[in-house]
Amino acid sequence: MTVRKAVVVGSGAGGSIAAMELALAGWQVVVFEKGPNHFANLDGEGPLRTAFSNDDLKMNVRHFAGPDPLVFPRTWRPPGAPATAHTGAVGELPQLVGGGTVHWDAKVPRFWDIDFQQLSALGPVPGADLADWPLRYSDLAPCYDEVERLIGVQGDVGAIPEIVVKHAPRAGQFPMAPGAQQLASLTLAAGAAAVGLHPFPFPMAINSQPYNGQQACNDCGFCSNYGCPVVARPAALIPLRRALRTGRVSLLPQTMVTKVALAGSAATGVRWVRMTADGPVTGAESADVVVLAASAIETVRLALLSEFPDASGKLGRRLMLHSFLDGTAIFLDRRMHSHRGRSTTQCAEDAADPDFPGARAFAKANGLPYIRGGIMEFGGSQDPISEAQSYQTLLSFVRESRPFGTEFKQLMRSSILRDRLAGCSLVGEELPYLDHTVTLDPAVQDVFGLPVAQVTWSTGRYEQAAQQFYAPVLKSVMSGAGAAVALAVPGTIDSGGLPVGSHVMGGMMMGADPAASVTDGYGRVHGLDNVYAADGSVFVTSGAHNPTNTIMAVALRNMRHLAGTRS
Amino acid sequence: MRWRFFTDHEAAVIEAATARIAPGPADDPAEAGHPGAREAGVTRYIDMMLGALDTLDGPAPMIFAGGPWSNRHAPGPDHMASFLPLDPVARIAWRRRLEDWRQQYRQGVADLDSLTGGGDFTNAARADQDRILAGDAVGAFRPLLFEHTIEGLYASPEYGGNRGLAGWRDIRYPGDVQPRGYAADEVELSDGEDPLTRSGIVADVLAFLSGL
Repeated sequence: MTVRKAVVVGSGAGGSIAAMELALAGWQVVVFEKGPNHFANLDGEGPLRTAFSNDDLKMNVRHFAGPDPLVFPRTWRPPGAPATAHTGAVGELPQLVGGGTVHWDAKVPRFWDIDFQQLSALGPVPGADLADWPLRYSDLAPCYDEVERLIGVQGDVGAIPEIVVKHAPRAGQFPMAPGAQQLASLTLAAGAAAVGLHPFPFPMAINSQPYNGQQACNDCGFCSNYGCPVVARPAALIPLRRALRTGRVSLLPQTMVTKVALAGSAATGVRWVRMTADGPVTGAESADVVVLAASAIETVRLALLSEFPDASGKLGRRLMLHSFLDGTAIFLDRRMHSHRGRSTTQCAEDAADPDFPGARAFAKANGLPYIRGGIMEFGGSQDPISEAQSYQTLLSFVRESRPFGTEFKQLMRSSILRDRLAGCSLVGEELPYLDHTVTLDPAVQDVFGLPVAQVTWSTGRYEQAAQQFYAPVLKSVMSGAGAAVALAVPGTIDSGGLPVGSHVMGGMMMGADPAASVTDGYGRVHGLDNVYAADGSVFVTSGAHNPTNTIMAVALRNMRHLAGTRS
Repeated sequence: MRWRFFTDHEAAVIEAATARIAPGPADDPAEAGHPGAREAGVTRYIDMMLGALDTLDGPAPMIFAGGPWSNRHAPGPDHMASFLPLDPVARIAWRRRLEDWRQQYRQGVADLDSLTGGGDFTNAARADQDRILAGDAVGAFRPLLFEHTIEGLYASPEYGGNRGLAGWRDIRYPGDVQPRGYAADEVELSDGEDPLTRSGIVADVLAFLSGL
């Protein structure tokens, strides 16, 4: 057997799985990672070590997990607007070894069966480019199981409600039992149950017991948006480590792939650039196969920089970023102390059901065949710096003549937006639209002089209707939990329409028909013999759930197929 | 006191201005018993940050504190006290950012002085200082100074502010607790009743939020 060689672009959820599958099949693999590596002992045997810490400033203000928007910006505009509305951070994911699984809250709900067959199961929606995936939930279920065992997931199958079992049946119990439940999460879950919803412990890829040689989470409280100081949620680091331990994989941090080199319909390798103290250094790496896993927006950017064929006209279209509804429950009688424990330990999936009570009628009244919300996340808060920034903004509205001073400090001591707050949000399904796109920005360039990703996106009519329907439901949950103040507003309310959040999907949709999709049933780019996408870019729909474990499960399925057919 | 970036006068103006944004006992009678920007060392925080421009290429510019923890709540060394080297791309970003901020501070102090009758912001009465800071003439400098005041109060003390954990103590925030973490009961159970009166600025902000 000839040893084959792959280049994998990106070391996050998809890239780590690709590297592992191909390396275990005997391939040589070179993994390029644009960002730095903040982990030690990646290819060793003992526990992983890290430079991450519970440091609000480093993580939430100073871009330690990158990308720093001063050197790697993106631009955004709404569809139909010719001018750039924002230059800077747009739908960013961390840029470093481990990718989005470094900062994530490690939530791993599964997509539902109807997400993979959305067009045939639920029918078309005017204005949207709905389609079925070239795979079914039942095809993916074993890969979900395998990913859960691989990275380590806590949850309780016995607590999963009927509607979830119906749409995402599981073969067995989670590898680990749920850990301690956050007070804010329990409080909101009680409110959810009181209004007829079905809350349960949020499945999450965090160790509740020692697993994969990493310690159990000790509930330090700095979870979402932080790198874990004890690496109790290693996620992509586990497949990456398995890959490195074969001895056939090299990992190149701080090295950005700038182009896939094509000769006719075949890729011959990649070109790369690396910044040094003396300026950029460039080079090339040959490969038999190139796998793009730079996350949806950057993978599309690289495809465009490489001038991939695009027979369907859909390359870079159908970008899906989820439609977030942010709920804020404020308690005036007691504190929620959400600085303790993993955040958001309870969820409910009722709102992912198109037959949620009243949803069909509301949709019809709005001229839509149906609407879906998405998974509700109960719990979480913000840390003091973000809290203080919120008051800085609020004071400019309510105290124009002196928006600072003792009243700022009184707000900080009241802690209405931290210690008395319980987050209650909804991760809304977003439909695919042909005019939600990633293109190359004609004017703005990154630190290497390459055009940055230009994101064209806005909240669609379907998503707005779903938000209008579900905002009162979120409020009833919070009121039912005893909150004195309950707010539910679109995540974009403060941003002027700029997308918020970091669920990034689409742009390289999978499909059997080369005339109607960008990649084939296993993520190979139509029109190219040996180039694959293995991240969220291949998604056909966005689901109504946090996407990362689905990225990993789809990558596992597709890369195993690649290893089997090309070894 | 020696400053890394500020002149003595610039430091005095920043000290006076940040004490208006986040006053302490010496600055506002309402803050008796509550340390503010002055007590937390906010000026030192900002000066250390702007001064980091001179050490970006060195082994430990004061941009990213190290890890994995400080041992603030346990015996052992403070790993956050050693700062991390920057990679070459981060150096470029931080050079751009800090050069811009230095210029904004230099200009901002000059503006605060020139908006004061006597030409020295530190000599103005507190009410006049508030009026100048709240006015449009300081432009984007107030939001920048406010953001950095927030960081100097509530960021980890390794960055030069939050002296003696003054910022965190005033808001009953424990900060980082690794490697101790929390026990299940501390996570799951309520600490009990702790009623907050809906009055003053709290009432006004809650009313504003409820109207969103």
